[in-house]
Amino acid sequence: MIFDYSGKSVLVTGAGRGLGFAIAQAFHAAGATVFLNDRTAEQVDAAIAKAGGGKHLIPAPADLATAQGAALALAPALHHGRLDILVNNAAVNIEKPIEETDDAHWDLHLAVVLKAAFFTTRTALPLLTQSQGSVVNIASELGLQAIADNIAYVSAKHGLIAMTRSMALELAPLNIRLNALCPGTMDTELMQDCAKASGDPDGYYRRFRQYHPLGRLATPQEIAAFVLCLASPAAAFMTGSAVAIDGGSSAGRM
Amino acid sequence: MALLSGKRVLVTGSTRGIGRATAELFLAKGAEVILHGRNRSDVDRTIEELGHRDRIAGLTADLARRSETKRLAAEAGEIDILVNCAGIYIEKSIIDSDEAFFDRTIEINLTAGFLLSRSLLPSLRQRQGVIVNVSSDAGLVGYGGSSAYAASKGAVIGLTKALAVELAPDVRALCICPGPVATDMMENAVKATSDPEAARRQWANFPLLGRVAHPSEIAEAIVFAASPAASFATGSIITIDGGTTAGKRV
Repeated sequence: MIFDYSGKSVLVTGAGRGLGFAIAQAFHAAGATVFLNDRTAEQVDAAIAKAGGGKHLIPAPADLATAQGAALALAPALHHGRLDILVNNAAVNIEKPIEETDDAHWDLHLAVVLKAAFFTTRTALPLLTQSQGSVVNIASELGLQAIADNIAYVSAKHGLIAMTRSMALELAPLNIRLNALCPGTMDTELMQDCAKASGDPDGYYRRFRQYHPLGRLATPQEIAAFVLCLASPAAAFMTGSAVAIDGGSSAGRM
Repeated sequence: MALLSGKRVLVTGSTRGIGRATAELFLAKGAEVILHGRNRSDVDRTIEELGHRDRIAGLTADLARRSETKRLAAEAGEIDILVNCAGIYIEKSIIDSDEAFFDRTIEINLTAGFLLSRSLLPSLRQRQGVIVNVSSDAGLVGYGGSSAYAASKGAVIGLTKALAVELAPDVRALCICPGPVATDMMENAVKATSDPEAARRQWANFPLLGRVAHPSEIAEAIVFAASPAASFATGSIITIDGGTTAGKRV
């Protein structure tokens, strides 16, 4: 184990599956108490069972697209009395051309990606101030560049990176660090959903493998490992950064 | 013939500041300009001041209200150039930024521009049009005490790139990122601080050039981006910030 998180507590939003689940698992394996957030108690309970259960995996269900979401997600950590790390990972990513991006679709992406990260962080501030903690915002390489048919997601992720920088400056005097991680495409349930929705799953996977110069998709585990690094003392001098871990997709064109 | 004669342009937030200077320059280049403001009296006064009565019209809408944004798009009709300039900037700490404030910032600075772009796409596509969004250097580098604003302006940069990728080659989309500009918006932010004089000095010292911009210096970049002179530029994120994003003095 590279990082030791014994005695630390971590809230991971969107931890029911995919990258969020991998992040929760990695922190748990490193000794942390992990609060797992996702939209419903059923999703969270299933994730906790899948991760092996135990007293260090605590449910924190809440729909972060709603106004009360952040307070509900933070309630177990407040009760526990300690939060060292917040990982704003919850996201929604449904591809649509501009003309089909209706108000509800636009609003949902902004609410879950951008607004939820802002208010979860804001609500966590008293605990993070106490612990001189760290926030990792899961952005995307689509927070650095755009692709077609994903305007709501691309806009929200760009906003998340800019927001991370400004919040990092404001909270630096409190020694609270914020960084954004910009993963490339991972082979997760979300990817499978997108592939299915495209009508040509094999072609979709092929296109996204080729999109990354390394010629493959990332595993959630290799992205999660980076989250543990950013939240650790190894990154104690790092704040306001946006780090791409994207197989080279934002480096340029092949 | 003037550079932009025959082009129909909608400039949001054009009764003051950067938007007004942009409308003025478009008029000087021969374009037909639709002004936009929140109040009829401001719009009428601006029309009065800018002249060119044969090529100017004015519409009102509160862009914090979605129904009004959509009505503005409908009333604007067919256009060649959309300049999303309307914006709000209020300094607020994270703790003081409540949900209503966050939502309002996102709605006016970001969502209104998306909605107008989406609504006006048919004519923009047909006329090989241009969308110019006004973001901010705060969309590229952090500003402590303006996280909601930064979120909205960073997202405008993403919005611009997404528009550029998806609408090419029919429509160009570009983004101008001003640094501090001498506008009412900035003056209000300065006045809201406990020591306005110090705040004014601080803003002036922030750009490497040691001063804030005049609105016309931003308008020049907006009109250039929208003009045929920039015909190969799309998805461009153009900083006109006196050097704020290049670096800072130690």
